[in-house]
Amino acid sequence: MKAKRFLSAALCALMVGSMMAGCGGGGDAGGTPSAASQTASEAKKSFEDLSKDIDGNTNPTADQIKKVQDSLNDTYLKDAYDVEIPDNYDAYPMKDSPEIKVWMPIDAYLSSIIKSLNDFKVYQEAQKLTGIKVNFVSPPVGKENDEFNVMIASGSLPDVIVDADKYQGGLNAGLTDGAYQDLTDLIDKYAPNYAAFRKSDENRQKTTVTDAGKVVGVYGLSPYPEWMWFGMLIKKEALDKTGLPVPETVDEWHTFLLKCKEAGYKEPLNYGSNYGQIFTGIINGAYGVWDWTFLDKDGKVAWGPAQPGAKDYLTTMAQWQKEGLLNKDWTTADFNQRMAEAVSSDCAVMMDSPDTMWGFWKTDKMNVDFVGAPNPVLKKGDKSATTYKNWENTGRPAAVTTQCKNVEAALRWLDFGFTKKGWELFNWGTYGDLHLVDDKGQPYFQESSLMYNDPEHQPLANLIWKYRVHSGPNIRDEHHSNPLLTQKGSYSGKIREEWTEEMDTSPAMPPVSLTPEETSREASIGTQLSTLRNEYFAKIIMGQLPVSKYDEFLQKANSMGLTEWLGIWQTALDRYNKR
Amino acid sequence: MEAEYTLRRTKSAKKELIRKDFHAHWFAYLLILPVLAWYLVFCYAPMWGVMISFQDFKPLLGFFRSPWVGWKHFSEFITGPYFWRLIKNTLLLNIWGLVFGFPAPIILAVVLNEIRHKWLKRSLQTITYMPHFISLVVLCGMIYIFTQPNGVLTQMVGFFTGHTDQSLLGVSSYFRPIYTFSGVWQNIGWDSIIYLAAIGNIDSELYESASLDGANKLQSIWHVTLPGMLPTIIILLIFAMGGLLNSSFEKIILLYNPLTYDRADVIASYVYRRGIREGSYSFSTAVGLLSSVVNFGFLWATNVFARKYSEISLW
Repeated sequence: MKAKRFLSAALCALMVGSMMAGCGGGGDAGGTPSAASQTASEAKKSFEDLSKDIDGNTNPTADQIKKVQDSLNDTYLKDAYDVEIPDNYDAYPMKDSPEIKVWMPIDAYLSSIIKSLNDFKVYQEAQKLTGIKVNFVSPPVGKENDEFNVMIASGSLPDVIVDADKYQGGLNAGLTDGAYQDLTDLIDKYAPNYAAFRKSDENRQKTTVTDAGKVVGVYGLSPYPEWMWFGMLIKKEALDKTGLPVPETVDEWHTFLLKCKEAGYKEPLNYGSNYGQIFTGIINGAYGVWDWTFLDKDGKVAWGPAQPGAKDYLTTMAQWQKEGLLNKDWTTADFNQRMAEAVSSDCAVMMDSPDTMWGFWKTDKMNVDFVGAPNPVLKKGDKSATTYKNWENTGRPAAVTTQCKNVEAALRWLDFGFTKKGWELFNWGTYGDLHLVDDKGQPYFQESSLMYNDPEHQPLANLIWKYRVHSGPNIRDEHHSNPLLTQKGSYSGKIREEWTEEMDTSPAMPPVSLTPEETSREASIGTQLSTLRNEYFAKIIMGQLPVSKYDEFLQKANSMGLTEWLGIWQTALDRYNKR
Repeated sequence: MEAEYTLRRTKSAKKELIRKDFHAHWFAYLLILPVLAWYLVFCYAPMWGVMISFQDFKPLLGFFRSPWVGWKHFSEFITGPYFWRLIKNTLLLNIWGLVFGFPAPIILAVVLNEIRHKWLKRSLQTITYMPHFISLVVLCGMIYIFTQPNGVLTQMVGFFTGHTDQSLLGVSSYFRPIYTFSGVWQNIGWDSIIYLAAIGNIDSELYESASLDGANKLQSIWHVTLPGMLPTIIILLIFAMGGLLNSSFEKIILLYNPLTYDRADVIASYVYRRGIREGSYSFSTAVGLLSSVVNFGFLWATNVFARKYSEISLW
């Protein structure tokens, strides 16, 4: 009897206790980095020239490593790009070790290996060098938007918010509503590196201000336009089996895919799934029927699905569908489904990113080589085009809130990411164990680097987050510091480079901003147009509706307010151009 | 008993009665206190928040500083080109659920009740309510695999239609059956539990007297079991009617695609897609408010019917 009572009581306690397991473990983990660096006595302007010791040194001594890691000395880093990366270290390390609180979403993988960004080695090192103590607060993975809105609604804001563009209405709305500070004058004083770097190029200049010309966020920036990252990828074996060269025109693609089918590929082309995602801009671009909004030859905003070439495009795709050239489940397949088809023997062509496909086609178990093909064109000799363009802006804008008590410290922390030393540290991690510097003064991952020899044998796709900052409000040097691109034998970078150089990006829409009223109206009409287009196009291609129904589609789109909707985008584009 | 009836006639007597009840059953009241508090704090108190459907709500400005826009969001929703389709799809999906999903657990409960073999009865019960515990995402994953080109279900359907190489989820006329019957399969066992409990409450003397009067199995079910379950059935039916304009959007989102929008796109999934473009709290609140008001109308109407044609009703 007593045992039974005890058992029930214990079970009750267990159930109540398990409910508590969900609580606790909030954002503020302990994680104190070591005390601020004591190298304040070092004269900033005159660093000892380390270039002879470090550049080209493949086996640095512990003393050399220490000199690089523990000081702001950047004499061994040379400029490789058209634009100089700034190197104003006058403010570091800051006196009185100021503290700031930064709200920054954390990558899913990173959150599985460290408790919070306070334990992230790269940021710890940066805090040592700048003398600024940072307390990172991250929302739970997957709940970033909800947590962001809750934080704003609560009215109690941290000093810095990263991904500040989550604010409803954009950064400009955050400014007018009184959440974010106007940084336009402050960055010249407290963030000279960012101020200089953003002005050094027209795209960087335009995409980092509001339409009114105000600086509200510190954006992640790139020294060059980053390569295009998606397109047609053909398995080499398919080219060998069919004996055909890489197709260029739509007709050549048709012939090629038919031959692939004869050669045994049951569903040769894996068509981008869930109609409407950007991958489908690849084939429809040949007809000018771009996926969504684009700039026509006069530089005015136009809508792809309403272009005159639409009927031809739909007829072609419907025919390909009937001939069995597309995977049958393209309307319903999700990412895992598509990858499963990619590695099967039914697929010859994927419309995806070479980095992703590298991870599936070139693993220990599979060794399928592939080539990239430019976007198809209608007439032989036409130049391939794309609506994807890189604006040298990697996003993740950081805003300083109106409740920040030490604006100087907040800006100086963000500014570090735009110095040479910050560029080196954030992109390549710590010197010695993760990267070395070549004889041209450029950092690189050496063969023995932790990046290629992770003690936990994690895949490279995860390690790009573990040892370096893959995306954040700093200078991002993707082409040289993304190990997926730089590792030996990898040619996905080459494919991306070719695509970028070969294709015409004039149809690309720049990242314009809408006012809150415009956003509301755009969302209303846009959802209707998107539903309409997805439905009609999917049904026509699948053969459930005849191509003649396209006229009905166009009529409905117009009655939904297509012209008004385009007008909204046009106004926004005009404002952008005037920046 | 008689004395109590006369007591009820006077107001102060009523008070006296309440005090007595409280005194005798204070523990029961204490137990229900947290439940009442939960309803007050989480269900009733936040209700005034629906006022954001009349504003252009912005989290930083809060409830009192966000601009007022009157009926803007309601009219945007109602005058949209897809409004009637969304209403029709939502209603039809729920009506299908009602027509097929409401009687099914009742029938199962009645059948289970007739099984005499204890072990068989128990194991059948357990097997039928296990699917309830499968998460929705897993269920939809299963449906996806079965309805793939050359999947199990596809082949079965292909037997009749001749096509086996299309995904069943790509045919909009199949959407309602797939959605409804997978739901029935998943919930039939769990929902039958409450009916089994109701059946258990039926006095066994009634069965004896029925068999004495010469009733066979079917007749005793019709005249004893079902009437005994009637109060439970009616109450649950009223609840179900109050959910006609709801949509469990997770299942819809997991199963639909552009090919089936014309049958599968419901109010909640449309608002979800709208919300991705503009995290509009106000718009979705307005739509939710509209649905709730209409739902309440259905609930009220059903309750009136129930009160008129039977003695059982919610109020």
